[in-house]
Amino acid sequence: MPELLAFQHGFAAALRDRQRTPATQQWLAGDADHVERRVAIYRANMVASADKALSAAYPVVRQVVGDEFFHGLAREFLRGTPSTSGDLTAFGAAFAQFLAAFEHAQSLPYLPDLARLEWAVHRAYGAADAPDWDAGTLGAVEPGRQDAIRFRWSPGLAVVESTFPIVRIWTIHQAGYGGEFSVAWDLSDTALVARDGFAVTVAACGAGDAAFLNASLAGAALGDAATAALSRHPDFDLGALLGRALAARLICGFTL
Amino acid sequence: MTAATTTLSGTGIGLRQPHYREVFERRPELAFLEVHSENFFLDGGASMHALERARAAYPISLHGVGLSLGSADRLADEHLAKLARLVDRVEPALVSEHLCWGGVGGVHFNDLLPLPHTSETLALLADRIDRVQARLKRPILIENLSAYVECRDSDMTETAFLAELARRTGCGLLLDLNNLYVNAINFGFDAVARLAELDGASIGQIHLAGHAVVDDCLIDTHGSVVCDPVWALYEHACRRFGARPTLIEWDTDLPALDVLLGQAGQASAIARSEATHA
Repeated sequence: MPELLAFQHGFAAALRDRQRTPATQQWLAGDADHVERRVAIYRANMVASADKALSAAYPVVRQVVGDEFFHGLAREFLRGTPSTSGDLTAFGAAFAQFLAAFEHAQSLPYLPDLARLEWAVHRAYGAADAPDWDAGTLGAVEPGRQDAIRFRWSPGLAVVESTFPIVRIWTIHQAGYGGEFSVAWDLSDTALVARDGFAVTVAACGAGDAAFLNASLAGAALGDAATAALSRHPDFDLGALLGRALAARLICGFTL
Repeated sequence: MTAATTTLSGTGIGLRQPHYREVFERRPELAFLEVHSENFFLDGGASMHALERARAAYPISLHGVGLSLGSADRLADEHLAKLARLVDRVEPALVSEHLCWGGVGGVHFNDLLPLPHTSETLALLADRIDRVQARLKRPILIENLSAYVECRDSDMTETAFLAELARRTGCGLLLDLNNLYVNAINFGFDAVARLAELDGASIGQIHLAGHAVVDDCLIDTHGSVVCDPVWALYEHACRRFGARPTLIEWDTDLPALDVLLGQAGQASAIARSEATHA
């Protein structure tokens, strides 16, 4: 193996496992104690980078569990799911799965769903800006062909389903929230995450709307998506949903 | 053109999110703003909009922290593609990267890790910089690193290594004087003597920042004001090389914008005073 590659593999092993540090002495100047103390600086940087990236994506999870516990979560998450890129934008995508399995987070069963909501918010924040679109073109579709419409939804739009009141939990942890802080724990929320200009919005979404949106986001035509929603949620109101979606510019095009 | 012949001159600051609004409203007199490239590898949204606003008002320097030029196994082409897309979008005045590696074997540490300064590393870095400059269609600046460990295999100083890298690739150098000082203390060398190893014509930018002291080690935190010995090095560098575009770099424990502007003013005054004696 070329010397540089051997050094980097050795150093990488020491960063991820303290027991592997002594082997780096063949490349690094100083005695064992010195090398361990200095490599520990890099090890701490590595965890700090993960903590910072996860904190940016999961600010509410961090508030809920506290800074110290969150730092521990970051270290544990990093151990099993190391970063694979110099771009940390996508780091932390699997945090919800990690939280669902992490023994010391089981006392907060809603945490994984809250994390899925925050990840959708994080993705929406950096999603492409919605293109301008003339919604009037939708009205020009012949009634007989409307069932075949496939909507192009605005980038970042996501539905996050949960059996916990995650929209409520998310809302009361936002900076500037001025209301009261009670949570009705027996309620469940489905969240609709969307961009409003450059802001990201999180709103509660009815079960029928969620079923329609999930089908449509997955590529289903309007008629099929509406049928799927109505079959399980007879009160689903397609007209009302489309009216709200068009008003909020959540639809930015369609194909036939 | 070489990176050092950029039209940029004067002092800038790192633009960080908590200062966006104030910078856009006050429009402080600054030669340029620098951002971390990777924070803008996004398709759209508020951050990209802020960068576009900044770009409309100031020249932009894109400072990369994740390309990992020195990873022995591979250059991350997908990362380079994102950087190229950002460069096309922003048309920055400067693009810089570090003399470091950040990951190997598919794992990234998201840190700036030190390299042995050997002929093997030199050949690798020269090839990587050629590829990056070809992809970006422009010369880039390479920054000297702060480090906490020293590689036994190094057979040249970092400054001599960088001088040779600039000669081979036509890249410019980003001289971080805080990093040089941190290493001078951590490894016990004379920083001023190291500056003599550099060709002033290759220096396209200077970074100034603060560091922390932990036990027997200086740590490059970018979380405090520039210390007096680093200001003294800056005076020396301005005398020796002439004034260069200079950045006040501050990333952690971000203070009020006026603190950064005060540091930038101090740098400008030194550059004006010392460069006239150069």
